[in-house]
This record gives sequence, structure tokens and C-alpha cells, in this order.
Amino acid sequence: MELGIFDVREWQTMVNLSTGRKVEYDSPMVRLVKKVMAQHPYPGDFEMMGNQWVTDLALELVRNYDPGFVFLSYSQPYFAIRFNPMAPEKWQALVDNALTEAQRFIEESGFIPIIVGSGDMIPVEGYMDVSGLDGLAVCSPWSAHYEGVFHPSERDLEYVKSLSGLQRLVYREEFIRELGGKPSDKDRVPDWVLVAREGFTFKGMQSSLRPLARIPAHNQFIPVYSKLGPIKTITDVSPLIEENLKTHKVALIMVEGIGVKDFTLPFTPVVNGFSWYTYEPGESQFLALTTGQHQFFNYPPGLQYWPDDNENKPYPFSGYFNHLDENALGFRYNGRSIAVGNRSMLMHATSGADIALECFARNLYNHGTMAAILREKEFKEVSRSLL
Amino acid sequence: MRCNYCEWRCELSGSKYGICKMYHEQDGEIQERFPYQWSTYTVSHIESFPFYHAYPGSKSLAIGTVGCNFDCQYCSNAFIAKGEPDTLLEHLFYLTPEKVVKLALQTGCHNIVFNVNEPTVSIPSLLELSRAARQEGLAMGCLTNGYTTDEATELLASAFSFFNISLKSISSDFYRKYTRAPNVEPILRNIKRLAANSHVEVVTPVVPNVNDHELLEIARFLSSANPDMVWHVFRLLPEYKMKELRYPSIEALIPVLEEARQLLPYTYFHNFVGSDWVNTECTECGTVVIERLSLGCGGDRLISFDCQDNSCPECGHRIPMLGGKIEWNQEVV
Ligand SMILES: [Zn+2]
Repeated sequence: MELGIFDVREWQTMVNLSTGRKVEYDSPMVRLVKKVMAQHPYPGDFEMMGNQWVTDLALELVRNYDPGFVFLSYSQPYFAIRFNPMAPEKWQALVDNALTEAQRFIEESGFIPIIVGSGDMIPVEGYMDVSGLDGLAVCSPWSAHYEGVFHPSERDLEYVKSLSGLQRLVYREEFIRELGGKPSDKDRVPDWVLVAREGFTFKGMQSSLRPLARIPAHNQFIPVYSKLGPIKTITDVSPLIEENLKTHKVALIMVEGIGVKDFTLPFTPVVNGFSWYTYEPGESQFLALTTGQHQFFNYPPGLQYWPDDNENKPYPFSGYFNHLDENALGFRYNGRSIAVGNRSMLMHATSGADIALECFARNLYNHGTMAAILREKEFKEVSRSLL
Repeated sequence: MRCNYCEWRCELSGSKYGICKMYHEQDGEIQERFPYQWSTYTVSHIESFPFYHAYPGSKSLAIGTVGCNFDCQYCSNAFIAKGEPDTLLEHLFYLTPEKVVKLALQTGCHNIVFNVNEPTVSIPSLLELSRAARQEGLAMGCLTNGYTTDEATELLASAFSFFNISLKSISSDFYRKYTRAPNVEPILRNIKRLAANSHVEVVTPVVPNVNDHELLEIARFLSSANPDMVWHVFRLLPEYKMKELRYPSIEALIPVLEEARQLLPYTYFHNFVGSDWVNTECTECGTVVIERLSLGCGGDRLISFDCQDNSCPECGHRIPMLGGKIEWNQEVV
């Protein structure tokens, strides 16, 4: 059974992750995870201490669980700069802090790292309001570049074409053909996918209620620091790690909000997408990294999550995820694996790790922490107390 | 001239827009400054607002405007509730009432819930929206702080058929200190008034060492308004100006809430993920008739409803409920 454990400060509870139902269960892994959670409350998405929290938790699990594969995400810079206008010095401090924490993990754990920046963030130049269309315009959660339109009218076509911030309108069939989809993908793809010009974003259903300061650039390349071997495109990362896990302990480390402009470690620019499509920070980029497969159709632009969001939706604590992708590295690797990050949902939903520890934040509100234990593996219990 | 929408009764003239900054005086009338301007529209579970005893299982279009007539020190929506409305205009949606209703229908929503900020700051637009919604058979609900004048309370009662009223404390001292509102009396009056004719649920956020000693007194008051009143005790998530506050202890509150349940059987305790206090039990025989999941703030949902025709399957006892169970993807009639 896959377990979900929640810590809301001074109180913990446990559920069957796939059904959401309460369960009572005890094991060395559960005890370890509960203890680590109790001792490390989450500082909050905007707090710089959130990066230290990631390193502290990851090191704690490395010392006590001894994994071979680690997946980390330092996401605080992304949250901070997306919603808060900030001076260059302040931003530099956030970048330095996140990369320093990533390096602290590497130095103290001895893991061989692949460090990936999710891409540059740029100021918002303008908004395109698509709320008045006859069709239904839907923005995927947190997407800035893409908007899906369902059942558009002739009048909508005229309006959309008049938008100065629009880069292109992609019809469903084109989207599927150009990005290598199957005919069955048409059920998940909107009639139109609207692509914003760089710097522009959409206003429509599910677009951000909080005013935005910066949005992702159209990052055709993202920075990757690695000594493991050549990486040309984002989907090369996963097979390269899998190969090296046979002989090494490897850490895949995502640093969100940071692109080629700000990345201060030596890096290779790596292709971040396919054809005209570039990944934004989020589930598809994470999954492309962890599965080694492009992710255009599982969570496409304009995804309507709500038709399936009924009482029986699997993984009710995992947002719009209704399954865990079995191509993720944690599923493919037989050794012990962990994921830790201040990126809620994505750590457990995209890593496949034995243990995933993440903040439980929704819309940037700090509700505590969540752990997912996807499978039990043997490990040597360390008798000494935790930090 | 004086605004008559809320109990602040602000003087409005020229560039005086009142405490909420959402009304102005024009040609001897109080008018909205930003009619039909919405801050969001999104699909939610009705349990998430929370409404636990209204149209269970239904899909709601959640909407809001901007502005608030309170200044709660722990506001979790301050960027929208306390921002300067005119600086937020770029982020708002201009949608006629008919268009909002169309969006609800396009997304298969069974009702519309105003939940982001205080509805009292946008009453004329909401009255028009309610007329358009009624024509399509969509009920409307809202979350309010209850600080309306008698006249405005009647207007809200005509626009909305279900309410979640926030009763933060039973003491005016608390209101003065933490919301800036001078007096709790109008709120108590309005809870009684609205509970008499509409479906009302009440939410009380617990602030440690500030209002936790008042819980039983609040329960007694609510029970006097309606012994079947649905009461949501919230574990407050300290935000905004009270961010540094300690989180309320869950274990310490349980005995108090168990006592409160003797007065108000439909007392729930949540706003934290995984809460055990979100199910509905039959008050006669103790059978669990409705199960829910709590995902913390804004994420509660139904997971089972064993309460056909709103009656306990074991003993037939009626469970108070506005409307019946609605299937998530049930067509809007
Ligand atoms: Zn019964």
C-alpha cells in the first residue's frame, strides 16, 4: 500500500495515498519519516529558509535510510520571484542561497549531482484577457505561456488573432501531430492551444489570482551541471542517471526559477522542449526529467482537471495527478530512493521515490509537510537520534 | 452621504470611497466603483468553502471581487482583500452577470459561491448576478463577515440562499483589536436574521490564547440561533500581520470541541490536512452518514454520502441539509 503522512505541526496523520482513507500502520520506514517530519516544520514557500529545509531533510534521510538515488527540488527562488518584485541584489541572494544549499547537500552526502535550472524568469510585459471568449478558455495551473480554448466560435477566432501578445494559435490536430501524440490524446487536448509571445501571459479561468511579477521566459535551453556525460536535451537526463546508478549514488537536483542567465555553476545549455514547445516550471518539466519521455499529453495546456475530480478520484491528496508515472526514475531503480523538495505534489507525483518528503502548500499557503511512502524497502536502522 | 451597505456607514463623497474603497457617491446615489469586475472564477467542490450541509457533492463556480470592510490581522487573502482596488484593475475580469452564469454552465457547475473577499463590497453586481443565476436555476452562496446593515442583510438574503458567516469571536474587544470593526453586535444580529430564513453555516477561526476560551460561549449563542447550526471551527493558518503566531494545538482543542458538540451536534474542526473531525454522524444513532476529506484550507471534498433523502440509513433520523446530494458530473437542470 502507498502511504501518505501529513504533519501539520504538533499533529500527524496517515492515509492510504491512492484512496485518501485513514490507515493505521507502523514500520521502521514510517517511524523514521514521522520523526524527520516532526523535527522539521516547513518555513513557507517564500522563505529562504525553505532551501535549507530541503538540504536538512535530505541529509537526514541519507544518513538514516542510505538511498542510492536522490531527487531534490529547491523551488523557493521560483515562488519568490514569480510573485514579488525584487531588486537584482535580492534576487542574486536567492539564487546564491539555493545553489549553496544544493552544494551543501552534495558535499555532505558525497552524491554525484546533476543540477538542473528550470529556466529564466522575465518581467510580465502584458496580459491577454480571454475571459470574454464564447468558448471556454482554461489556463493550466501555473502556466503562463499556454491557454487552452474549448468549443471556440468564429468570433473568438477574430478576437484571438487581434491579440498583440499572441505568438501562435495551434489547432488540436496540429498539436497532436507536431508533438508526436496518438489519436486518443485528442480527448485531453483543447480545440485550440494559444501560445503567448515571450513576456506575455493569459488571463482566464484558473489564471493566477495573485498579481504576477515575473513569468518564465520561453526557455529553449536550460542550464545543466553534470560530470556524468553528455546531455543534449531534457529527456537525456533520466537514462543517463539510470545508467550511472548501477555504479554510483546519484542526485538529480532541480533549482527552480534559475536559467542560463543566472546559473553560477559551470553548465551545458540543454534543450528544454521539442519543436516550438518549451517547458515551463511544473509537472511536465519534472516528468520529462524523471521519466526521460516528453510530456505534452498527460497534462496538456488548458487541462480541465475537474471532470474527473469526483468522489472516487484516485490520489485525492495529489491535486490533479490521478496516477503516479511508473516511468519515473524511482520506479525503474531497484535500490533505495528518496525525493525531497519545497515543491508540493510534484516530489511524490513525479519522482517515483520510495520516500518523498515535500511541503504541503496549496496556493502558497503553508499547511505543513507531506510524505509519501510508495514502497517499503529494507534499510539498516541507525540507532543514534536525529539532528 | 453615508453608505448604507455595512455597519461602518462610511461618509462617501468626492474621492472618499469608504473603508472598503469599493463605493462612491454619484448624483446623490451610492454606486459601485468597479461593477462587474471579478478577481477570479474557478471550479471547486462545495465542501471546500466550506459548506458541509448544502448541496453535498456539487460543483461550484467560485468567484470574487476585490476589497473588504475588515482589516483582519491574519487575513489569508490580503493581496486581494486589502490591495488598492484601482491598482488591481489590470488583474480583474470584466464579465456581465449573464457571462458569469454562462461560465458556470460551461463548466458544469451546479451553483455559484462568492468566496474570495467580502460580498458586502459588491452588492449591486451580486444582486444582478443572482437574478441571472436564478433564471438558469443556479443557487448562489457566499462567505461573509456578517457586518452588514439591516437593509444590506435583506439584500444579501435576496441574492444568496446559503451563507457561511465568519464569527471570529463573541467579544467586541476581539473585533476591535483584530479586525478593526468596533462591535460584534451587528454580526450576532445578522446571524440570527439570516439563520431564520436561509441556510447558514458559521466558521470560527481559533487564535491561540486570543479566542480559544470563547468557544463554548460561541456554541451557546449559535445554538440559540439554530440548534442544528453547522459550525466549522478552523485551525487558523496565521498569515498577513500575524504570520509569526504559534499554530493552535489540535489535541488541546479536542475536549472543548467535544463539549461544544453537546450544544451543536454539527460541529466540525478542520482547516488542516487530514482532519478527523469532518464527517457527519447521525445525532440519534451515531452512524457515520457523510464522509469528507480535509485537504486544509480550500480543499475539502466529499468521499461518501450514505444518507439517501438526507435521512440516516439506520434509524431514519433527518440530517439538516439544504438540497440533496448532487453527483459531481450531474447535468445542470
Ligand atoms: Zn441514525
